[in-house]
Amino acid sequence: MSPLYLILVPGLAALAVALGVGRARATLVLVGTALLTMVLALIEVLSVPRAQTGFLDLVRVDATSRLFLAVVNPIFLGISTYIWHRVRTTPVLREGIARTVSLSLFFLASTNALLVANHLLALWVLLELTALAATPLIVRPRADAARRAAFRYLLFSTVGLGLVALGFTCLSRGMEVAGFEPTFILDRLLQLGPALVNAWTKLGLGLVLLGLGTKLGLAPMYSWLPETYDESPPAIAALLGAVQFNAALVVLFRVVQVYRVSNTRLMADELLTMGLVSMVVSTVSIIATNNIKRLIAYASINHAGVIAIGLGVGGSATYGLLLYVVSNAFIKAILFLTAGKIMAHYKTNDTRVISGLINELPYSGVFLMVGTIALLGFPPFGSFLGELLILSALVGSGRMLTFAAFCTLITMTFVATGRTVFPMIWGPSKEKHDWPRQTLPAALPKLTFLIALVVLGIYIPPAFNALLQQVAVSLEGP
Amino acid sequence: MSPLLMGLLGVMLVPLFLATWRSSLLGLSLQGFLIAWAAYRLDPNLRAVGTWFMLVDLVLVRGIGAPLLLYRILSSQKRTARNDIIAPNLLSWTIAFGLVLGAFNLSAALVPVDGDQRAIIAVATAGVLLGLLVLASQSTAFGQIVGALRLENGIALFELGGEHRHHQGVVIELGQVAIVAGTVGLYVWLLRGFPEGSGTPAPSQDEPTL
Repeated sequence: MSPLYLILVPGLAALAVALGVGRARATLVLVGTALLTMVLALIEVLSVPRAQTGFLDLVRVDATSRLFLAVVNPIFLGISTYIWHRVRTTPVLREGIARTVSLSLFFLASTNALLVANHLLALWVLLELTALAATPLIVRPRADAARRAAFRYLLFSTVGLGLVALGFTCLSRGMEVAGFEPTFILDRLLQLGPALVNAWTKLGLGLVLLGLGTKLGLAPMYSWLPETYDESPPAIAALLGAVQFNAALVVLFRVVQVYRVSNTRLMADELLTMGLVSMVVSTVSIIATNNIKRLIAYASINHAGVIAIGLGVGGSATYGLLLYVVSNAFIKAILFLTAGKIMAHYKTNDTRVISGLINELPYSGVFLMVGTIALLGFPPFGSFLGELLILSALVGSGRMLTFAAFCTLITMTFVATGRTVFPMIWGPSKEKHDWPRQTLPAALPKLTFLIALVVLGIYIPPAFNALLQQVAVSLEGP
Repeated sequence: MSPLLMGLLGVMLVPLFLATWRSSLLGLSLQGFLIAWAAYRLDPNLRAVGTWFMLVDLVLVRGIGAPLLLYRILSSQKRTARNDIIAPNLLSWTIAFGLVLGAFNLSAALVPVDGDQRAIIAVATAGVLLGLLVLASQSTAFGQIVGALRLENGIALFELGGEHRHHQGVVIELGQVAIVAGTVGLYVWLLRGFPEGSGTPAPSQDEPTL
């Protein structure tokens, strides 16, 4: 099967909804298209044993593509189901839903195209397209703060991806200077090997890592992330945190796969520094915040920091890093969608006001509890094993100071998050409410994510494990 | 350094000191046209499709579209003429000149042979750094858009700096033009929605959201 279907199906559905076809049942179109695309993605994942290139050398399905196709598409389906349920139960949300559906499907088409792209500039263009599709989704009617958050999101995207474009231009000059024909096609870049070391490649890599760090919410340019996640509708925050984050990560992985061999030290130093600083910033912010969505946003910065550290260390950390990445995609989806449910009921995002969830909203209470435990890296979740492998690699590579700082920061994050979230779950109810009954269909997407999360922690299916190992090898470096 | 690049450096620097929003927009427009001229000089026969795409991007989107759309919004909002895009003091001006000097030193380190290539890299780097300075100095939406567009113009000039310009294929070059046009369109759409000086907006949580 051609991977182009993964782009064409959501792309054409987006166009159809934008042109007015099926507007009356836009959310059903969203769920149906997401389901069809997920099935096609899973067929692609299961049917392609080796890297294959096609369509003018622009498309390449390898282990990295397959891993992220298998993660991103089910999450998008879960978010779509959540949107369908929210709109069905809250008729006021039907205003402008066709636009949301069209942009979301365009976002999915761009993301899938990115996952199978075989060209660094195409990756950049497609990541920009996801940002352009997401910006109007952040804007809510009659909410100035959301419009300002969308503006900051777009601004930081433009600047971050501008730096990436500048970095790619420098990398191209680096190839010229090293005597190679400049190319951005991944297949050819992967064959260049360790020859690409000069001032241009160093400058280019520095800029690319800084720019992609901005998209991932890494320090120093992370300030857009808490505001954007806070002001976005929860479903859109889940899209940004669990889908677009992974798209940006794939671009970073592609750069690491090509340039780690030639620039090991530079990449390790920059990634470790950005990762540690991000963890410090997010830990302080988690301690200070009383806003549930900001808490998850700061936790996302923390996760990005852990991922940057794992990627910087390389070697045996990469398998753990991938487990951590996949687990966190599900954790963020669970937590943002649960936060949406909680905020819809309590009409606030203040963690000091919300209390007694386990009695009042049992499903949401359980999801928040399990999501937080997974977020904090406890067993039996994949994030636990992932963190453990990264820590072990830190010790193995002799980076004891980084190891000590990492341990201190995750302990502080654990205490601060637990202190804020656990009273929300188990604390006494502050007011007597008459809550509407929670239905299973509403909880189904989160339940599915939760099962995936537990499976990753206790039993990784051999086929998926093999996929993780293939990607890990491609990221390990010398 | 050629007169074209000197002119380009001039239109990057002068609006920083004139401090009106009209001069900022005129500066952006002239940057688009002058970079287009530089691109045309590198491929005067216009043989490559990529050069056409680049000229469309530089002339229609950056040179005409973005400044004109922003001008219409600011005119309709009846803004006062003055608009400092960097702080009006000696420190900021020194930093601006320091960045230009730094850009020339960096280009000398990156391109050992003196000539057009080195000059293009120097002016492009100056454009990028001045764009970042404007972004760092600004808290207003308009000022930040100007900073981001200056940065984008600097990057566009940087792309002309290689020995040969390498075309990436129609699909990707069309995508790059679409990205710039889409970004400008979104900036304009967002800017239209909030009048300047409205202070920190209160988050509205009363209405249900997705």
